[in-house]
Amino acid sequence: MGSIAKIHEMLQSKQVSCTELTKSYLEEIEKANGELNAYVCVTPDEALQTAAAVDKKIAAGEEIGLLEGVPMALKDNMSTKGIDTTCCSKILSGYKPIYDATVWEILKAQNAVMLGKTNMDEFAMGSSCENSCFGGAMNPFNTCHVAGGSSGGAASAVGGNIAAYGLGSDTGGSIRQPASFCGVVGLKPTYGAVSRYGLIAYASSLDQIGPITKSVEDASLVFDAIAKQDKRDSTSLGAVGGTTYDKLNNDIKGMKIGIAREYLDGVRDDVKEAVLAAAKVYESLGAEIVYFDLPVLKFALPVYYIIACAEASSNLGRYDGIRYGYKTAHYTGTHDMICRTRSEGFGEEVKRRILLGTYVLSAGYYDAYYKKATDLRGTIIKAFNDAFTHCDVILAPTVPMTAFEKGHAVSDPVETYLTDICTVPVNIAGLPGVSVPCGFNADGMPIGMQLIGKSFGEATILNAAYQYQQAAPEQFKDTKWGVKL
Amino acid sequence: MVTREDVENIALLSKLFVPEEELDGLTASMQEIIDFADAINNAPVSDEGFDNINNLSNVFREDEVVPSYPASEILKNAPEQAEDHFLVRNRE
Repeated sequence: MGSIAKIHEMLQSKQVSCTELTKSYLEEIEKANGELNAYVCVTPDEALQTAAAVDKKIAAGEEIGLLEGVPMALKDNMSTKGIDTTCCSKILSGYKPIYDATVWEILKAQNAVMLGKTNMDEFAMGSSCENSCFGGAMNPFNTCHVAGGSSGGAASAVGGNIAAYGLGSDTGGSIRQPASFCGVVGLKPTYGAVSRYGLIAYASSLDQIGPITKSVEDASLVFDAIAKQDKRDSTSLGAVGGTTYDKLNNDIKGMKIGIAREYLDGVRDDVKEAVLAAAKVYESLGAEIVYFDLPVLKFALPVYYIIACAEASSNLGRYDGIRYGYKTAHYTGTHDMICRTRSEGFGEEVKRRILLGTYVLSAGYYDAYYKKATDLRGTIIKAFNDAFTHCDVILAPTVPMTAFEKGHAVSDPVETYLTDICTVPVNIAGLPGVSVPCGFNADGMPIGMQLIGKSFGEATILNAAYQYQQAAPEQFKDTKWGVKL
Repeated sequence: MVTREDVENIALLSKLFVPEEELDGLTASMQEIIDFADAINNAPVSDEGFDNINNLSNVFREDEVVPSYPASEILKNAPEQAEDHFLVRNRE
């Protein structure tokens, strides 16, 4: 049974009150957050207020919803009315949105107990969480290692049992990569399945919100709750593929699981072995493994960085020191004020990506880079569509390595970009992908595998992930931290 | 080839100041990233093209007046304000 269903049962059967449960999460945050640095803002008053409302309903004999009263956390780039939302950037310091992101509006209406906002790379740009102005979130399996990024705080909080689940956002792997590093489940839904309204934009054609959870059932439950069409996000379509939780126990006998050879290139041996061992588990469950080539994958990473940075350079133009956030103290004119505000307010990686994005969009380079990258995006989408004519899901590593040690990612930007090689293709093609724990390296750090589905094929990949979880429960290890249910 | 002048020009377009002492380092770092991005120029010429994910098309709606946020709420996040407006900068 997943954590969410277990908490639901405990609350409904009055084994524990929602207030007691919330207090134990808050106490564990107090103990663990000094080391994990998973939360950048804790909201005890709001959490306990919601908990009291849930307890009142239970005391009155009312049935509560599955997510009702379950303590959770939101990545700090999702707008929360009246609560700091900073994207872990100095430029948004002190910013309190006047409205809620749609995902939070949905969960709040179901009495989700938000414990706080979680750490991330500044504006979701990074793969280690160390680009946060609050310092990086650490890995609950070993705090000398990073939690990954950019949704490192959410993965650390869930892996460290100081949130039952978290919401992250994934532009090039920012849900799946930290989930893989922290030994938890992370689902990046199909582009358009979940509303982006109130999600502070990084790259609008790639960004998507999804759950980070302890188990596949939990990811499925949260996805079903948040995948709703929203007229405030014109790209949102909702759960076109239907609900997923009711389809978790489908037989996968005869399912064709594809492995693209290119996904295994340059992947560390221990990671490759773990993924291939998972393929064996699938074979034992009656699935058929099909190898194929996806040569266009080798262009995915530069295509991703060109498109993401181009969109970021435009999206981040709004930070000018006038309407919200940080403003420089001394300036001589409007242009000087804006330039100083931005130069002082943005971190190094964000500035690098704004400059790169401006470069690839500027006259003389637009055709060679941006136009070429978007054309190749079409080619990559077609290649995935072709691949899905001979397999039902694609199995791949989530990251070519396990969580690196603190400080390792900061030194070389291009080397750090390479860690995203297995995750970015899904965002380019707008497909759903779920990262699931599938092993451990010699140092005990978790390894993750990724199941990629057709557009709106969340039910298929989550069912396949669930079948693996049932067959290989030993890969889903707990850490020493946090609340033990 | 990314030059110092390119970086200065892009910085101006991006409304960012790059201090003189960081210019060489940043030019080198930009060159490294552009070299990496140049890999796409070895890709076969594509005729797929790309419009958007999920083949979305524009949806038109009636131009109806709906409630919005009061100015006082929106101004709460302004670093500086004057007479119920955003203050861009002080008069010199």
